[in-house]
Amino acid sequence: MTAVPDIEFRGVTKRYGSVIAVSGIDLAIPPSAFVALLGPSGCGKTTCLRMIGGFEQPSEGAVFIRGHDMAGTPPYRRPVNMVFQQYALFPHLDVEDNIAYGLRQARPRLSSREISLKAGEALAMVRLAGYGRRKIHELSGGQQQRVALARALVNKPAVLLLDEPLAALDKKLRTDMQIELQNLQREIGITFVLVTHDQEEALSMSDFVCVMNGGRIVQLGQPSEIYDEPADLFVADFVGKTNLLSGKVVGLSGKLVEVALADGTVIAARKRTSMAQGEAVSVSLRPESLSLGAPGSGRLNGLVRNRIFLGSTAEYAIEVQGIGTLLAKADHLIGGGNLFKPGEPVAIGFAAGTPLAFPENNGTNQRENKNVEIIS
Amino acid sequence: MSKSYRDGLPISPEKFVDQLMRLKRGSIGRREFLGLTGLGIATAVMARELGIMPTPAFAQEGLGDRMSIATWPNYHDPATFENFQAETGVAVEVNVFGSNEEMLAKLQAGASGWSLFVPTNYTISTYKKLGIIEALDMAKLANYDGSQEDPRFTGEGTIDGVTYAVPKNWGTTGFAVNTKKLAKPMTSWKEFWDTAMAEGDGRTMVHDYQLTTIGNALKYFGFSFNSLKPDELAKAEELLLKVKPHLFAVSSDYQPSMRAGDAWMTMCWTNDGAQLHRDIPEIAYVLGKEGGEIWTDFYAIPKDAPNKPAGYALLNYLMNPKVAVREHLANGAPSTDARVNALLPKEVLENPILYPAADLLKPLEFGAAATLTDPGRAELMARFKSA
Amino acid sequence: MRSNVLRHNLLTALLLGPATAWLLVFLVLPFVAIAVFSVGERAPEGGYQAAFTLAQYANLPARATAFWNTMVLAPAGALACLLVAYPVAYYLALRAPERWRLILLALVVIPFWTSLLMRTYAWMYVLGGRGVPALLAYVGMEDVRLINTPGAVLLGTVYGYLPLMILPVYVSLERLDRRLLEASADLGATPISTFLGVTLRLSLPGVMTGFSLVMILLLGEYLIPTLLGGGKVFFIGNALVDLFLQSRNWPFGSAIAITLVAVSVVVLLAANRISTRLSGARRVDLI
Repeated sequence: MTAVPDIEFRGVTKRYGSVIAVSGIDLAIPPSAFVALLGPSGCGKTTCLRMIGGFEQPSEGAVFIRGHDMAGTPPYRRPVNMVFQQYALFPHLDVEDNIAYGLRQARPRLSSREISLKAGEALAMVRLAGYGRRKIHELSGGQQQRVALARALVNKPAVLLLDEPLAALDKKLRTDMQIELQNLQREIGITFVLVTHDQEEALSMSDFVCVMNGGRIVQLGQPSEIYDEPADLFVADFVGKTNLLSGKVVGLSGKLVEVALADGTVIAARKRTSMAQGEAVSVSLRPESLSLGAPGSGRLNGLVRNRIFLGSTAEYAIEVQGIGTLLAKADHLIGGGNLFKPGEPVAIGFAAGTPLAFPENNGTNQRENKNVEIIS
Repeated sequence: MSKSYRDGLPISPEKFVDQLMRLKRGSIGRREFLGLTGLGIATAVMARELGIMPTPAFAQEGLGDRMSIATWPNYHDPATFENFQAETGVAVEVNVFGSNEEMLAKLQAGASGWSLFVPTNYTISTYKKLGIIEALDMAKLANYDGSQEDPRFTGEGTIDGVTYAVPKNWGTTGFAVNTKKLAKPMTSWKEFWDTAMAEGDGRTMVHDYQLTTIGNALKYFGFSFNSLKPDELAKAEELLLKVKPHLFAVSSDYQPSMRAGDAWMTMCWTNDGAQLHRDIPEIAYVLGKEGGEIWTDFYAIPKDAPNKPAGYALLNYLMNPKVAVREHLANGAPSTDARVNALLPKEVLENPILYPAADLLKPLEFGAAATLTDPGRAELMARFKSA
Repeated sequence: MRSNVLRHNLLTALLLGPATAWLLVFLVLPFVAIAVFSVGERAPEGGYQAAFTLAQYANLPARATAFWNTMVLAPAGALACLLVAYPVAYYLALRAPERWRLILLALVVIPFWTSLLMRTYAWMYVLGGRGVPALLAYVGMEDVRLINTPGAVLLGTVYGYLPLMILPVYVSLERLDRRLLEASADLGATPISTFLGVTLRLSLPGVMTGFSLVMILLLGEYLIPTLLGGGKVFFIGNALVDLFLQSRNWPFGSAIAITLVAVSVVVLLAANRISTRLSGARRVDLI
């Protein structure tokens, strides 16, 4: 018998007219977890969050919060609080009054001393002590973000909902806030549910990632699991960077398949679903799993087209005849002895077990050619 | 049920629109509608600016091709001006006004553009004093015959032997009563005011005009209609303030309310009284036996008239009894000219509203210039209206 | 550099020229004329005669009742208007289906294309003896009088100025960030608390705009009380009409007009101040 989940979706479907936003979702979020709902825009992740908050009602199924069916419970009676996209801070109230807003709604009423005490603690928690009398529009984006956090957390919710909370911040601030959010979650110990389309954010912050696509949950797991063992082609492509190589199944042996690539090279790849001889598949090869060497030393041969030096690593765009451009990532050894120059021929190798084969035509509609994006 | 739902309606849709248009056109008090809207000035300006008046094919020597007249709404037979244009080639632009005061204001400001206008008796001396009306050249008014005019009505057009204005028609100010609602016969202003506070409570209207409202309140006590005596005015004010809460309205736009049955009794001018009685026989027109107002509207020519020859020509044309009789049939007010009366049908001449008995006319007084412009009476009226 | 600035200024002057001239001719000059009149004297035959005296201003108490009536009618009428307009604007901005919104808004505005006078006359007819009372008589309620009652004036006022109140309130509600309403609910506020604490608060600039607009127009209103109230209640607008068109005491009328303008300015400034304070000091919200 495990603990009652903080949030549970049971067969939840949400339709807007004829459009299905969320389809048959079952999900249980354990207490004290940091969970990310990850997916491209329109995948249904925000709808799920809004159903937890009570701003949308499921068309079918039910949402439970700490074991209670929330059907018919309006947002203001739910033990959850949300940090909204762009924060939705009240422009007519100062920082302290924004934070005290929820406290003032509490029944039985809190004394004003109590309210200002708690608001002060919340301000200190988000490192904004002394900002209580500031106007909202006088704050920077990062400060507004922290006010929004304090405004939600001061009510001691069972679950904190975060709707793309970092989207409006610049990169540096975003990284800082990621760490801050993680620390906060550990400190307070309540469940955080984060909606994001940024896979890096999801991987770096959360204990569990729930990848969604087309209104369904595609995969639920720990970040490393999602990254290393993507459930399908969509997840492999969406989470992290990867090279996808088209091919045909030419041999089957247990958990492995032999795939003939477009140029005729046959490689062994792990499979996650059953496959048939001759089936069209995509093979995923993470850039960091590729190793580069002198021509003739690897499995594939190519020409270095482009190199991006990143300090500790370097990224290469390598053109392989008959296959296309592959992205490779190599650690940089001090002295630069292993750096290749554009135009140089190289051999590409990879450790056995790193290639993953997925059936084609499965979630490929969401696929983006990330390699090209990064290089250009 | 064979009855159509429309039988139950108080008015058909067509009738409603008719009524509305009638309200709009001004079978309502002239002072009210135009005064409120400033329509008089607006039409005057618009017609000129837009060149609405057509240019005739020919023009009589020296008369020009257009002139304008300032008058009251529904006061002329439209055919009169069309016929005049056909005869002389002069197009007449008609500007209608809400009050004598407005006309005076416009003339005083200068450049009114009128070559003829229709002031009421008590304003003429003021116009003369201000030097803004023409001493009439009677030689140019061959159709006018002073000997045929009832001298009772012509007096105020002539000052120190000089004629500044010739009469158009006269009238009285009495009150109209809906005898179905207020059956008790009434003959005096005393009864008017007393009834207003009793059976006529909430159904009585008085003019939004100090001259008649204060004047007829003075009549309650038998004082002069034109009184400027402070003690007499104080008594009138006392009466007015006492009546005020019982009134239906302080408004010169009384025809619609009387016709609709909202008001049962109102101060009333002759022509309105005649129209109301003609359409709704149970509405009677009463002249207070204590007296009250008698008035005459005149024609006069402004000193700065832009087209004096045409002004004289039109005035002379209007003095032709054959033309004038159609005017009187159109606006319903009694004529001052014996030659016109001779042409009027018997039922008009015998209409007691238009031509009251001599003993009723006898105590009536003409409004005086001093009464109209007295600041004390203006302030009294303001106190009455704001009470 | 300098010539550039000069050219720029010249261009600005040219562009603003017509507007400035318009303001000068149609606003400033009449105002100056009225100010000059107000320190003059009434000529014996009426009108104006030059003088310098504050007698007209000293005489203002003679219209104290009119001022008092107006000062009661204007805010009361504006308030009544607001009470009707707010739910309409609220529905239009936050509840009406998107595709109906424009049509409904147009329906609000279209009556404004007819003159207020005509619409008020229509009401005279509807409330008059042959209108609603005749229908009531048909069901057995004889001699009901609706016209020339305070209720009729209130109805006419609300009707006449409703669009002017609905539009600014609608605009401020329409610009309201819906997420703020969700945030409020999320923080535990009941719909009523959300309405009072967020919706109403943030629409106050629109409310103040509409309120001061309607109130200032009502300060000069004379048609509706005259036509639907039977002229029994005397407002400043009526006092002005009488003074200018009947007794032709132009200097006194001018003094009243100047006083009315002063009152209007005070009302506007106060409204502006209040809404600035309430909207979180963002001037932008006032538009």
